[in-house]
Amino acid sequence: MANVATTVPGPLARARHWGAGFRSRDTWAAFAFLSPWLFGFVVFTAGPMIASLVLSFTDYSIIQTTHGVGFANYTTLYHDPQVRTALRNTFVFTLLAVPAHVIIALALASVLARVGRAAGFFRTVFYLPVMTPGVAIGILYLLIFNGSYGVLNTGLGYIGITGPFWTTDPNWVKPGLVLMISVWSVGASVVIFLAALVGVPRHLYEAASMDGAPAWRRFKDVTLPMISPAIFFVVIINTISGLQTFDQVYTAFFNQSTPYGTNASLMYAIYIFQEAFTFFKFGYASALAWLLFGIIGVITAIQIVVSRRFVYYEGNSRG
Amino acid sequence: MPGWRTSFAITSLIAALGVLTFAATFASAHSTSTKAGTLNIMGFGKGDDVAESRAAIATAAVGGNVNRPSGSFNDQTFLAAVASGNVPDLVYLDRQKVGTYAAKGAFLPLTSCIKSQKINMKQYRQAAVNEVTYKNQVYGIPEFYDVRTILIDNDVLDATHTPIGWLNPAKPAQLLAAAKKMVKIENGKVTRIGFDPKMPEFFPLWAKAYGVDILSKDGLHAHLNDPRAVKALAYTMSLINAQGGWDRFKSFRDTWDFFGSANQVAKDQVGAWPMEQWYYNVLAGSSPKVHITALQFRNLKGQPINYETGSAWAIPKGAHNTAAACTWMKTMTSTSTWLAAAKNRAALRKASNQPYTGISTGNSVADQAIYKQTYTSINKYFDEAVKKVLDVQRFSFGIPASPASAEFKAAWNDAVTRVLAGQQTPKQALDQAQKEAQNAINAAK
Amino acid sequence: MSEASPVQAQGPAQALPVAPPIAPGRRFWRPPTGNPLGRALYLTVLALCTGVFLYPFVWALSSSLKTRNDFFDHNSRLVPHPFHWSNYLDVFRGVSDIAYKAAFGNWLWNSLWIASLAAVTVTLSSALVAFGFAYFRFPLRNFFFGCVLATMMLPGVVTLVPTYLIWNKIHFTGPGTFLFLSKNQYPLWAPNLFGSAFYIFLQRQFFLGIPRELFEASRMDGDNYWTMFWRIAVPLAKPALIVTAVFEFKASWTELQKALIYLRSDDTFTVPRGLKNLLDLYGPSNGGHGDYQVIIAGTVLATLPMIIVFFLGQRYFVEGIATQGRKG
Repeated sequence: MANVATTVPGPLARARHWGAGFRSRDTWAAFAFLSPWLFGFVVFTAGPMIASLVLSFTDYSIIQTTHGVGFANYTTLYHDPQVRTALRNTFVFTLLAVPAHVIIALALASVLARVGRAAGFFRTVFYLPVMTPGVAIGILYLLIFNGSYGVLNTGLGYIGITGPFWTTDPNWVKPGLVLMISVWSVGASVVIFLAALVGVPRHLYEAASMDGAPAWRRFKDVTLPMISPAIFFVVIINTISGLQTFDQVYTAFFNQSTPYGTNASLMYAIYIFQEAFTFFKFGYASALAWLLFGIIGVITAIQIVVSRRFVYYEGNSRG
Repeated sequence: MPGWRTSFAITSLIAALGVLTFAATFASAHSTSTKAGTLNIMGFGKGDDVAESRAAIATAAVGGNVNRPSGSFNDQTFLAAVASGNVPDLVYLDRQKVGTYAAKGAFLPLTSCIKSQKINMKQYRQAAVNEVTYKNQVYGIPEFYDVRTILIDNDVLDATHTPIGWLNPAKPAQLLAAAKKMVKIENGKVTRIGFDPKMPEFFPLWAKAYGVDILSKDGLHAHLNDPRAVKALAYTMSLINAQGGWDRFKSFRDTWDFFGSANQVAKDQVGAWPMEQWYYNVLAGSSPKVHITALQFRNLKGQPINYETGSAWAIPKGAHNTAAACTWMKTMTSTSTWLAAAKNRAALRKASNQPYTGISTGNSVADQAIYKQTYTSINKYFDEAVKKVLDVQRFSFGIPASPASAEFKAAWNDAVTRVLAGQQTPKQALDQAQKEAQNAINAAK
Repeated sequence: MSEASPVQAQGPAQALPVAPPIAPGRRFWRPPTGNPLGRALYLTVLALCTGVFLYPFVWALSSSLKTRNDFFDHNSRLVPHPFHWSNYLDVFRGVSDIAYKAAFGNWLWNSLWIASLAAVTVTLSSALVAFGFAYFRFPLRNFFFGCVLATMMLPGVVTLVPTYLIWNKIHFTGPGTFLFLSKNQYPLWAPNLFGSAFYIFLQRQFFLGIPRELFEASRMDGDNYWTMFWRIAVPLAKPALIVTAVFEFKASWTELQKALIYLRSDDTFTVPRGLKNLLDLYGPSNGGHGDYQVIIAGTVLATLPMIIVFFLGQRYFVEGIATQGRKG
């Protein structure tokens, strides 16, 4: 890249330069490309988001007349013990789930990368659980994770381990959910990692092995850095979705025929859903949602800052 | 090259278009006109023969123009309809939900409808009508009446020499002894349950057995932490703990083949448990050779009690075609319609060699007529059971309508679940539930 | 075209990951022709994992061929005996005393249409937007990209109702059709016309991996922005586009929430909505007998198209890179 001036211009010059950006043809073209999203964002996204923010300051319940209640929802939220329970459950779940998911997906993708042509079949196999609809997963969960008779504990019994009561013991509910949700759904991440692994330049590996580096060194010093962008992407996406876990847990624990959701399985997103659609407290639910929004925002920002240290992005600056 | 003013204007134009669209959507008034005379029903899609034969009669009664999208009642769909101002004329939903919607003003009181159509409210079971009455106004017409009796597997009793008299909740100590006698635990796994108290689902029944209504008749005062309720919960916990503890108990129960021919009664996997009456029909169909007895559930004083639930018809506020809705409700639940449906079902069942155990309608006049005119004997076990089911109906109670029925149910359901999971003692759990429930009711009324 | 400048903030957009580089000269990764023991080990591991991952689907398949009696019997074998194919017919013609004839064919067709529309529109629109974010430098770029990220952070449940109200005001929640498609179905795919945060993010990563030299070269040849996008960026990012299409197809195919709220009449239902119907109907409280084996058969039927789409699409993920690499 061309050399640029080594002295940093003053603030006024920076502002002028920034403002000049609006003049350039590039900017106009950029916004042309962005326009579909911009339009949709305002109408279908920002609009409802702002509406829900406004609603969080009311007692909107759809059916009754709405009154503004100021910060009452947020104060209630602060004192609500279930909020703490739900947050704790969600955090613990995400903390367990994301590393498990990433490690397993990476391991599987690494193995798949060595298989060559047959990989197509295996990719489909690993993606199958992702495609299996919630109904089946819900029923399956109760059958497989049954403490006395489930396949999982029977299998563990063969290797001498007495499995816990996954579905009823509060200490094991979350690990069970982690297994069911984040491990079974690695398929999508395997696909992404595979694409990344395949793109690592071969000459780097050749150079490393010529230097006598053993396999694990090659992995640590060549593979990981080169696919760190993909790892980062998967981590962010799964953190955001982990903190919003809803479907599978709801099917397994909270729907009509299996109302055994306990303190151990109450996820934050489920709590929001209940407050909104079972108890008709949309105002409160909106406040809860915006709290989660703030939390996710902070966590994502932290992850991004951390990533600058660990994520290697190739060559030319994007500046 | 366009000046920055121009480019800025153009880019903000795009955004402004978006904002305008968004704003405009709230500005325009609209009215959706439904074809005059159509009756729009939500929550009552195509169902079994009992539903369809009655629906045919009712459709004829309202003049033929009925719109019944499929599916059962769904809170989200209904709320979306209310939000958009496009309410259906009639909804069909769980009776226990009526109170909350009524308290929030989402349903119309049916006083004028009852008067103009001359609906005889006395034909309906009192407990069911109580369930849909809020602040002394009726908001729903009850349909169906699910009652609970104790279903006993005679073979298990015989095999363990357990006297049937012990299976009486009026005598807790003996019931506990019976459960211990009949339970079988092998290799740390439960292989037969003695007596399943069906918790948390039947907590109201147990509380009532110990003498307390968990919700006052006016639906405004919760009594969840009444000492008697706590005792009832503690007792059922002792039952479960004596039979392997909740983990083992539940994981065994989850393996039951409830609807098949290898069901838990046929395989003698349970001694006795309280169950809804429709299960007799299932059993008669899947495993008619079982030896069963039906017993009434009793309170500590030895009196028979029963917990009932069911569905109801209600009219949302803002409905257009209330007259047709009213006619529909009346016709669907009238004695003659029920009788026609029962006759139809009996004939169908006979033709396909399937058993028929009657219908529990919520209309006492209809129940009697159906039993007299359509019931034919299956075998002595099921005949006795059907008779018992009919008997027990008049001793029923339901949960009264309350302005926060969902929160109320969640409060006690969660409390019992916490106790089952060993996270709290019965007293702690019910104290917490009481607080939550009463707060919710107070906030909602 | 703006030059590199130290003044441009290294904001979050900058630090975000770069896509796997897809420039010419990259060689397709070939598996090492290493020792057979290593290979055998890999295959064993894969086989084990396959068993675990296949289990849910095999279980669903096997259960769908059982009779109702065998369905919950935990001792019953994995391979049903005999195969009860009539369950699949029952999905269409209904079960004994229930009068309801599932319009499963309709549902499949609806889901197919809607999922295809959703996938195609989101792929194209997201690609446009992603290119805008990846290639250009312009003021407020980081701010807008932050907005894109932010849309993923608010739980969808609270925007359900306001979004519904918007559609309602433009009369898309009532009966009727618009351009041959039922109005009620538009909310399920039309928002994809405007891109979707997840895919914008994903495709931006891939676009960022395309070396700028390619674009410089084409600019010097006098290409306009559209040509650069369509002729250079899109072909090179084809794997990302295919991934987007496949993922969105699956997401739309399995979407239940929106279907619950917007779809009113039976013939407009999508498959998940229809399956839920069956679930309600065959549950015991509605007089049904818990004919879950029919529901599972319906579920299997519902999953098959997705599997086909995925299997067809996944061939391009990796092979696509190889082709592009050699062509460049």
